[in-house]
Amino acid sequence: MTDNAFADISPETKVDRLAATELAMAHGHHRVIDALNLSLPNGKVTAIVGPNGCGKSTLLNGLARIHRPRAGAVLLDGRDILTRPSREVARKLALLPQETSAPEGMTVLDLIRFGRQPHQDWLRQWSPEDQAAVQQALEAADMAELADRALDTLSGGQRQRAWIAMSIAQQTPLLLLDEPTSALDLGHQVEVFELIRNLAGAGKTIAMVVHDLVSACRYADYLVAMKEGEIVAEGRPAEVVTPELLRSLYHITCELMEDPITGAPLLVNIQRAPESR
Amino acid sequence: MRSPMLFNRSASCTPPPGYWQCLLPGKGEGLGRNLLFNRRATLVNLALMFGLALCGITSLSLGTVNLEIQQVLQALMGNGDPVSRFVIGELRLPRLLAATLTGAGFALAGCLMQTLARNRLATPGIIGIDNAATAFAVASVVGTGISVAPPMMALAGAATATALAFGLSGASGTRGYRFIITGLGIGAIAGAMTQFMLSRVAIDDANAAYPWTVGSLNARDPLATQILAGGCLLAWPLCLMLARGLTTLQLPDAVAIGLGRRPGRIRAGCLVVSVLLTGLAVAVAGPVGMVALIAPEFARALNRAGYVPLLASALIGAIVMVLADLAGRVMLSPLEVPVGIVTALAGSPYLLWILLKRPSGHLQ
Repeated sequence: MTDNAFADISPETKVDRLAATELAMAHGHHRVIDALNLSLPNGKVTAIVGPNGCGKSTLLNGLARIHRPRAGAVLLDGRDILTRPSREVARKLALLPQETSAPEGMTVLDLIRFGRQPHQDWLRQWSPEDQAAVQQALEAADMAELADRALDTLSGGQRQRAWIAMSIAQQTPLLLLDEPTSALDLGHQVEVFELIRNLAGAGKTIAMVVHDLVSACRYADYLVAMKEGEIVAEGRPAEVVTPELLRSLYHITCELMEDPITGAPLLVNIQRAPESR
Repeated sequence: MRSPMLFNRSASCTPPPGYWQCLLPGKGEGLGRNLLFNRRATLVNLALMFGLALCGITSLSLGTVNLEIQQVLQALMGNGDPVSRFVIGELRLPRLLAATLTGAGFALAGCLMQTLARNRLATPGIIGIDNAATAFAVASVVGTGISVAPPMMALAGAATATALAFGLSGASGTRGYRFIITGLGIGAIAGAMTQFMLSRVAIDDANAAYPWTVGSLNARDPLATQILAGGCLLAWPLCLMLARGLTTLQLPDAVAIGLGRRPGRIRAGCLVVSVLLTGLAVAVAGPVGMVALIAPEFARALNRAGYVPLLASALIGAIVMVLADLAGRVMLSPLEVPVGIVTALAGSPYLLWILLKRPSGHLQ
């Protein structure tokens, strides 16, 4: 057993580390996802997109073992994620859910230290690794200056960066984020997306649910488009995003252009599609 | 393969700000075992222990017979004149111990339940656990044919109320207002049952059961106090085990799961400890309201944000109970006001203040 997360991040791993096989998820009696197969490409940023209620957050919650699947399994390094001790999983997989709230007055540093919990135990409450990981997270998320500030005194973007810093401190090779930029203005969105790109650059495998398709194309290496609980398309954004897909996902017509600077697809002249199909 | 950069740092390691680090001798790769102590919490707890000792001595010296501090201390040592030895040893000290234990028990139960439900109104008193414990205990006192000792009956009542509140609040479990509303209903039913039983029995039996209904330390049963002491001893290691996971319950469940915690299990553990303490404390003093609500509130205010102050809550609960009992004894002396009435009088304005205040603080 190794506590050293850096060993895990090495890109040599050939097998995709997180995958869903024949996954079925449900809310009560309502089946949201049925027999879904997905494999997250290692070291890449995967964006999961789709219309409201298509099951993208449900999928992410399934991948992160927040909810148990009705059938099928999520495989972490080839083994069913639910058969492994939760603490062990937490050393490999970090999650930033959509709802993030912390007790009033809690500081950035207090929050980030929570990220070390899976690495600590009763008789080892603080280690040099913990110290180094917290410091690294503070620097990676550019939060060192704000470490002692209370979370509720920060701007939305700073607060979101603090939460991401917590998952960085967890030092996991895998990171799942559920709408990391919802409720952030454009500047803060870019701030968060660039941080996510940096983490992928450092070798992390990342999956995020993103509401905004343009941002997904811009910042993701791999796009997963979902509709009614099924994956309708997946691949590189430039290959996947077509006017037909957009029409089927969002009932819009538009024209696609290539971003002259990044090469990502750009949507122009977006209109509601006529009802007759 | 370990990264050399990290490995070299193992020699020196400074604790996070606001903590003391206690290194323990340990084995394995140069990484010593250690414990972290929250500085603020340590100082607060020491101060509260001192405060509790002061309140205790004050409580021992005041009453229908006022004793000097020196007489109290001598009597505690087993010296001094026979009168003060009797007053202290036979009358006031057992009562002080009962007050301390019940106060600590109620407050600890309150702090656990507030944290697990993420709601500052979620205390055993409001959820109806107190009332149900009382109803069951009264049932055994007034002799409805059930001849089990009151502590066990109170515990059974507490467990029944919790199970009902939990079961009836559906999928949301202990989260959200549904649990509290359900608990309120159960508490009301239990209160009505108590009144009904008291109205049906002979006046002597009703008098015997009366202290149960208001919360009093006057008619306590020494056995019940001993059982409560046992319960507290049992609860403490459980709390220590739960404490680290408990802090993650302040964050959303998905975050806690992501950190490798199992919120459901932590909640279940806390609920069991909370029910145990409430049931056993009710068996000693009856349903003393407000202690479970107020003590954790003060404890949180004294501590840093994000810290779940279990020990501080227990100590403040004990202080509140000792002071309330003292006030009840001397306020209208020689008449005695039951401790439950004092805490209700002093605590209700506080409850109103919580309700009217902007919903803030450490918990929603």
